[in-house]
Amino acid sequence: MAHSLSAECTPLKLAYDACFNSWFEGYLEPAVIASADAAQRAAYSRAKAEEFERKCGAVWVRYRECVQKAVREKGLTDLLEHARKENPLKDLPPAVSSSPRS
Amino acid sequence: MRYFTQAFDYDHSWSKVVIGMWHKYPNPHCTHVMSVDVVDRSVDPQTGIIRTERILGCKQRAPTWIVKLFGGSEDAFVREISFVDPTTQTMTISSVNLSLAQFAVCNESIRYSPTPDGRTRFTQSAEIESRMALWHSVADRLESWLATRFEQNAQSGKLGFTDVLRQLWEEHGSEQHQHA
Repeated sequence: MAHSLSAECTPLKLAYDACFNSWFEGYLEPAVIASADAAQRAAYSRAKAEEFERKCGAVWVRYRECVQKAVREKGLTDLLEHARKENPLKDLPPAVSSSPRS
Repeated sequence: MRYFTQAFDYDHSWSKVVIGMWHKYPNPHCTHVMSVDVVDRSVDPQTGIIRTERILGCKQRAPTWIVKLFGGSEDAFVREISFVDPTTQTMTISSVNLSLAQFAVCNESIRYSPTPDGRTRFTQSAEIESRMALWHSVADRLESWLATRFEQNAQSGKLGFTDVLRQLWEEHGSEQHQHA
């Protein structure tokens, strides 16, 4: 099994990964199909985003807290913040548009 | 500045490759990858795009001269941002080193998209550049070492991921999917 940055967080990481993987496997192919129409895409995306939060939200909060602490303890906070400032990448990089196929 | 680029087709559909991405580590070809953590993830309720930010921890021995000059250690951390876009059927991944970032930066871009024959095209490019006002020879050696290591990791990554996809989708069937 893959590990977390800190051994303490590994059980939470594995639980979160399992939750996400299970959700994601059900998500992807219907998402591709739904994307053919903008309204369908929005309805599907909203429903699935809510479902993800319902299923995995609780374990995510605990895992994230553990990892944030580990990042601090490993002295990575400054490096991470600097990288985020330099290249936030909050949105898709250019040259890849996301309008539904007609 | 050094550049690296490669393209490769995987023998699985785009959906299978993207699902398989989250199972890529650990694999025996990529023993240098020690840890993988998600630090942020969001599902866009309008577009359905999934953005994930991860930190990967790698153990790779840096040459002694690098450790002495830059105080590097065995632990190298990488920040990876990925976007899965079901509308365009594209997975885009950008990675940058966190460790030694004050001295040199390796920016990697990867894209996975479907081929017309139901396989998946993988394209990868990297730019490696030293950052500080280093002596030319030092900058050159640092970039050279980073580039060599990057190329080695790119090859083992390709081998490793090919095996992971085969195991996931051909050998063990879908029961194994839960474990990463």
